[in-house]
Amino acid sequence: MKFEIEIGGKLRTLELEPGDSPQQYHATMDGEPIEFEARFLRPGVLSLILDDRSYRVVLEEDANDPAVYIVGRRFPYRLDDPRSLKARRAHAGGADGPKPIKASMPGRVVRVLAQPGDAVEVHQGIVVIEAMKMQNEIKSPKAGTVSELRVAAGDTVAAGEVLAIIH
Amino acid sequence: MFKKILIANRGEIAVRIQRACRELGIASVAVYSDADRAGLHVLEADEAYRLGPAAATESYLRGDLILEIAERAGAEAIHPGYGFLSENADFAAACERSGIKFIGPSSQAMRALGSKTLARQAADAAGMPRTPGSTSALGSLDEAYAVAEEIGYPVMLKAARGGGGKGMRAVGGRAEMKAAFEAAQSESERAFGSTEVYLEKLIERPRHIEIQVLADEHGNCVYLGERECSVQRRHQKVIEEAPSAIVSEELRRRMGEAAVRLAQSQGYTNAGTVEFLLDEQENFYFLEMNTRLQVEHPVTELVTGLDLVHLQIRIALGERLPLAQEDIHIRGHAIECRVYAEDPDNGFFPLPGRITCLLQPGGPGIREDCGVYEGWVVPMDYDPMISKLIAFAPTRNLAIARLLRALDEYVVGGIRTNLSLFRRILIDEDFIAARIDTGYLDRLLAQPKIVIDDGHENVAALAAALFEVSRSSNGSSKSVAHLQTSAWKSLARREALRK
Repeated sequence: MKFEIEIGGKLRTLELEPGDSPQQYHATMDGEPIEFEARFLRPGVLSLILDDRSYRVVLEEDANDPAVYIVGRRFPYRLDDPRSLKARRAHAGGADGPKPIKASMPGRVVRVLAQPGDAVEVHQGIVVIEAMKMQNEIKSPKAGTVSELRVAAGDTVAAGEVLAIIH
Repeated sequence: MFKKILIANRGEIAVRIQRACRELGIASVAVYSDADRAGLHVLEADEAYRLGPAAATESYLRGDLILEIAERAGAEAIHPGYGFLSENADFAAACERSGIKFIGPSSQAMRALGSKTLARQAADAAGMPRTPGSTSALGSLDEAYAVAEEIGYPVMLKAARGGGGKGMRAVGGRAEMKAAFEAAQSESERAFGSTEVYLEKLIERPRHIEIQVLADEHGNCVYLGERECSVQRRHQKVIEEAPSAIVSEELRRRMGEAAVRLAQSQGYTNAGTVEFLLDEQENFYFLEMNTRLQVEHPVTELVTGLDLVHLQIRIALGERLPLAQEDIHIRGHAIECRVYAEDPDNGFFPLPGRITCLLQPGGPGIREDCGVYEGWVVPMDYDPMISKLIAFAPTRNLAIARLLRALDEYVVGGIRTNLSLFRRILIDEDFIAARIDTGYLDRLLAQPKIVIDDGHENVAALAAALFEVSRSSNGSSKSVAHLQTSAWKSLARREALRK
């Protein structure tokens, strides 16, 4: 199977195949062949031995923001098969078009600073969210008009939830 | 001994007090809000009673409800922990009236020392050095100008009822005073319901050094050495250690004796902490007194070999201090990291949520006072501290090495934490050399972060791909639809089932 994986800002091409015996794997990373052994200790936790070095890897399952932990360090990654990566790149195109404003943390909406139809500047505050005794102003990523406002003061929001859309 | 104690708190400190209760053969009573029904402090308690909705004002701050539950449960004493009602003199007084022992000082001593301006007056009376400035609330902006001219800029405006850095403003010169005065007043009113602010001389590059005191109800009082808490962000402590790398035996004695004098002058009982600023010439200035158990008490426990919560309970029972000043010795070095559910890569925003994986460190010299467990959803309603990681070793350098080792073992998956921040601090040469003051962490954070790829990124890539294969073989993946071959599927399935 072929993957493209982005970790630490670096894109890697990875081909992964089962090896000759169970738990043996054969990979090619950016053209370099790699043999390694891996076993699942439980779903989401892997023990991996590569070049005689032992690693415990923990998966953090989050559809939007997956990551793995190795020796206490967190490595966020983006993984795609090449086809959908291309599709995503094509989609991403430029600052034009509507931009959603998402909650950077779960919390409660304490104030709404703009209304639908309002013209806003880039970095202008749109919504204030409070969690754990801290308030966080969510700002507009671009200049434009508030085309949609999906929350009101008092609402509870999840991380990544769309709060408003700027056209 | 008490038979039953109610713990009017949540999270790690409630669990820590429960442990002491169990060790002393005391039953513990937990109280909880709706957000904490499955909280660790409820699971670990002998009895548990619901308080109310998630908001602290409707649950953990409801002193009336807590007293009612204490009576219903037959608890003879209440331990308030830190935060919430721990420094609320009205609550302490209500306990006194109802005949339930408040494990802490008397309401009277708490009132005298809880207000920062009254505490400054008490410090003067006890002949203890404090920062130059006012000892009562400023009546007007003109008075603020006058006091500032007299002691000289820069100065610090502070809320008399304040704490946690709220209502504090540094003022560099006359031109900044008006705005700062008004901002400090309104912030203080919002946070503490009082517009009382006072003014003191700003000490440049101070260290935060505090003295732990312990006083029984028979007039005996000792100090248990100092803690250094200079590593702070927004006036909130991040790393604490005992002893301070720069406090000499002689300075410790002088600060300790001053702290004991202050406590005794107010008839203070139980555990308390006297906070000082230490300037570059090693002059110390009284800052405030915390009339409760501190978050960072474990570092003192480790270097003195004492259990502060046991002692608090024994003092509340009316027992005499089991030791005199000359029996107290500082041995080794302890460092504590406050683990917060917040994202250091994104402006330290709090990030509550479900903990999907929790691997906790252990081994020699490591203590973790934790308030969470795997599967627990960290609620958004309270302080984001989830745990305290503490290392103890014969020397400071070894304590640092132990912490770094423990951080390598520690995984909190599913939520963001500030664990990476500790690694950054603990390898910083200024921290290692103990060249720290209360501005140290802000300076470190202003520097660009150095990211080293030690080959783990390639391993992470292999693991990520393998996780994807195992997941898609379970039919749960949407993004990689084309990679099922039957051999792969069965392999992944076999692997996933392997325990």
